[in-house]
Amino acid sequence: MPDRAAAVGHRRFGRVRVAGPHGPAHDGRMACGSTSLWNGEATWFCCGNAWGPCAAAGGGACGTCKSSKLQAAWPNASQACWDITRPDLCGEKLPRRGCGSVMKVRHQCSGASVCVTVSDCGPRTRSFCSESSCCDGTCRTNRVIDLTPAAFSAIGSLSTGTLPVVIFE
Amino acid sequence: MSAYRTGDPLDRRRFLTAAALRGATVVGSGVIGATALGALDADAAFAAPLRSLDPAVADATFVEGRITGIDGGLLAVAGSWGTYARVRVTAATSVWKVRATTADAIATGDGLYARGVPMPDGTLAADAVWVNIVHLHTTVRGIEKTRLHLAHGSHEIVGHVLADTTSVSYSGAAPTADLSRLRIGQDAQVLGAWRPSDDSVELVRVSVGPGAGHHR
Repeated sequence: MPDRAAAVGHRRFGRVRVAGPHGPAHDGRMACGSTSLWNGEATWFCCGNAWGPCAAAGGGACGTCKSSKLQAAWPNASQACWDITRPDLCGEKLPRRGCGSVMKVRHQCSGASVCVTVSDCGPRTRSFCSESSCCDGTCRTNRVIDLTPAAFSAIGSLSTGTLPVVIFE
Repeated sequence: MSAYRTGDPLDRRRFLTAAALRGATVVGSGVIGATALGALDADAAFAAPLRSLDPAVADATFVEGRITGIDGGLLAVAGSWGTYARVRVTAATSVWKVRATTADAIATGDGLYARGVPMPDGTLAADAVWVNIVHLHTTVRGIEKTRLHLAHGSHEIVGHVLADTTSVSYSGAAPTADLSRLRIGQDAQVLGAWRPSDDSVELVRVSVGPGAGHHR
């Protein structure tokens, strides 16, 4: 997959801009897949022109991220992104998925799911190696996806901060 | 225990919609009334499997923005992208502001995330409202007894330690009130509540990891 990351634009981990194989990300709803991609911990983050400390969060690495949209950040959205998040240092060799990639994120226990579009780079997996979220006696380890408040709240409560999830594409 | 947590066919959304249509607003009614009709704790509300939505409701609706006015149980919300919404708080609404609380705690000027069911009158009947909640990736820049100084991107944030609330999770361990193992320069994920009056954050949970290379 071509890596077209370029060092322009504002994002929460510095100045990284990511473009996907199909060009800039968009907010349109796309069909969710059912092929298993990964599992782990989901967290949430804010982006776009939001209130409070999020006011300066910007549109993310893809330039389109908004807290109110069903979007996500992926640790391997580009090589530049990977160099920041380094999930491999926690044992997670996540595949490259650029801006505009669509994933289905399912809560491991409740079965609630949400379809999201990759719109940013994150989470910074390497900072929280071995952190896990559990439910019904099963745990998922390492932060592998960051969801916008709209997406996270579709499958869980924002006040939990993290959720164990299974990801499909 | 409310209907949607017991597996009763009357799921959370139908319960919520019914509550909204009945005008079961709880602003000012306090904890007792709310508890009798629905969960106050958003965590508990989401602990049970979410059933598929009512066929008449294609998707959960999400609202984000600042509260510009409160009229009974109706919150006027100005979205960050120029949108405008009215969010109805009912007896079935879970409210979070630093902790699980009631609608009495909501104030004009607060930031808000809400999810719920769109009603025929254009309002959103909220099943959960998170007020001023933030979840920030930060770096610890300073540590005092009652507050932390945090860097969030290029911005400095003051995080207030709440004696009865703030906890720290070290490397995924059980949360503790002991802040003594925090270190300058550590990456810290902060779950807290933004304080509009001074742009600071009330700390609810701080999570710090071991860093890279500690995978199992």
